[in-house]
Amino acid sequence: MADDFVVVKDLHKSFKDFKAVNGVSFTIAKGEVFGLLGPNGAGKTTTIRMLSTVLEADSGDITIGGYSVKKNAEAVRTLIGVCPQELALYEDLSALDNMVFFGHMSGLEGKAAHDQAMKNLKLMGLEDRAKGKIAKYSGGMKRRINLAVALMGNPKLLFLDEPTVGIDPQSRNNIFENIKALQKQGLTVLYTTHYMEEADRLCQRVAVMDGGKIIAMDTPYNLKKKIGPPDKTTLEDVFLNLTGRSLRD
Amino acid sequence: MKRALIITLNEVKLYLQDKGDLAFGLLLPILTFALMFGAFGGDTLFTADATIVNEDTGVYSQQLIQQIDDVDGVTVKLLSAEEADAKLDRSDILLALYISSDFSDTLMAGEPAQLTFKQRGNGGTGGQILASIIRGVAEQINQQFQVYNGVKVAVADYNIPDGTIQVVVLSVVEGEQQQPTVGVTEEITGGSSEFINQYLPGIITMYVLFSLSLSAMTIVEERKRGTLERLLTTRLSVGELFFGKFISIIARGFIQTLILLLLSYAVFQMFTPLSFLACLVVSIVFTAAAAAIGMIIASISRTESAANWIAIVVTMFMVMVGNTFFQSAPGSAMETISKFSINTYANEAYTALITQSGSLGDTWFQLVILMGVAVVGLIISRLIFRAVPGGNK
Repeated sequence: MADDFVVVKDLHKSFKDFKAVNGVSFTIAKGEVFGLLGPNGAGKTTTIRMLSTVLEADSGDITIGGYSVKKNAEAVRTLIGVCPQELALYEDLSALDNMVFFGHMSGLEGKAAHDQAMKNLKLMGLEDRAKGKIAKYSGGMKRRINLAVALMGNPKLLFLDEPTVGIDPQSRNNIFENIKALQKQGLTVLYTTHYMEEADRLCQRVAVMDGGKIIAMDTPYNLKKKIGPPDKTTLEDVFLNLTGRSLRD
Repeated sequence: MKRALIITLNEVKLYLQDKGDLAFGLLLPILTFALMFGAFGGDTLFTADATIVNEDTGVYSQQLIQQIDDVDGVTVKLLSAEEADAKLDRSDILLALYISSDFSDTLMAGEPAQLTFKQRGNGGTGGQILASIIRGVAEQINQQFQVYNGVKVAVADYNIPDGTIQVVVLSVVEGEQQQPTVGVTEEITGGSSEFINQYLPGIITMYVLFSLSLSAMTIVEERKRGTLERLLTTRLSVGELFFGKFISIIARGFIQTLILLLLSYAVFQMFTPLSFLACLVVSIVFTAAAAAIGMIIASISRTESAANWIAIVVTMFMVMVGNTFFQSAPGSAMETISKFSINTYANEAYTALITQSGSLGDTWFQLVILMGVAVVGLIISRLIFRAVPGGNK
């Protein structure tokens, strides 16, 4: 599709004998929030790492904003923002210092980096704590800063790898509201989560991964409709129906 | 380049935030210096007790004892022969001077007199120095008597009283001692052979090697924080990341070495302004070489523990084979191995500047080698990082 901002074709990645990603293909339209769901070890994070240019794919093609990740990773990096699953911040520095630093790394110059840092802090409701050390922040505040840092440099595509793990409902709600607002401004989002109600609430489409493959991909409504009445079926029912009830590592 | 400098500034900020690390980093050179001062500084004069058994009651033995006691750092302890023998038996003392009862009378008669040293083994280093001092004092008295006897014979026909001859001779000899006809002047121009000068190059090179460990940890720390992966998704290139880290390590290592050199300059006054500046230049280049080797370790290490251990092994190798405190024998296998340690070249450069009063021009070969290690090391570390999984960029 001409509107597709992300195009992933037949992506493969192995670590020694373990096939982490096995022939994954999907597209994400510009301005879409796309959910990547799956149990632990399904290959979601590996897929995001390949899309965000950190990890090289064994085979397959990834195109973001018209640029090939393989051939023009530098151009891809000007378009993306990454909010990793684990906090990736300098705990001994203040929130503002962290954001200005990553702003510079994302191509913002002097005052522009500072201004955007303050704007993003306000967005996350943390402007009063701008100069506080990250180490003194609560878990929810750290998660919000983790997201705010990913927004530095005005990315066109945002990777959110389980951004709401272990936080309070207020912080989670703040993150939801911000993602929705950013989407309205045209931001494209790839979102992974274990919380099915989050995906149902945020994502236009979701792909369910298991064993390194995409086993289902559609709108949450259509996926729910396949196994029961959409108004009485949850995305969690769909998930368990597709991936089974056996425990994963 | 701009992003590399921002990485450097961020590193400096992080360093300043960690108060414990900061205090340790700045106090360590001061502590090292205090140890150096304790070992080499302070009262550097020889001090010893001269144990003397004086069985003579004449004036010349008193004169000898007084002259020995007048020597700086020497204190005379008078003992009886029994006491001195007992102390020598117990090794309480290693050397004693015995003045026989006929010492003054023999000299008065114009005959040669004998002094006796009794010592355990070789008398120890202190005993040997003391014996040498006593020999010097005896030599002075000897000269005085030789002149006295010569003059006495020469003026025998003029009926000049002995007392007058003695006074004149004593006055001439003392005048000669205070203002010798042939004088020797010592001029120190920066280098000297004192212990501190001998050991300072080794201490500095060992110190600079801390940069290697700091450097080895720098990428692992980013990885552990999770910030490495985040940085790799930004516009920052691996080259900029490594160069920024490299500069910050050089700055940090250099500040610590600067403190050590400044204190040495101030307390031991062992540099000229030029040799001090030359040492700073060598320190920067050597720190860069050590940091570059550390960056190679950083690029192959996945955990803090791995980086730490590899850095320790490499540092130990550099110190042990790098002529840090002892020169390897020329033509030996160890001399060949020492060529693989950057310490060898740094030690040569520091020794040329500190011990041999050389100039920066005398160290060009060592500086070129160290700069080469810095540049090649940085390039290799970047290539390794790109080649290993997770460093693809």
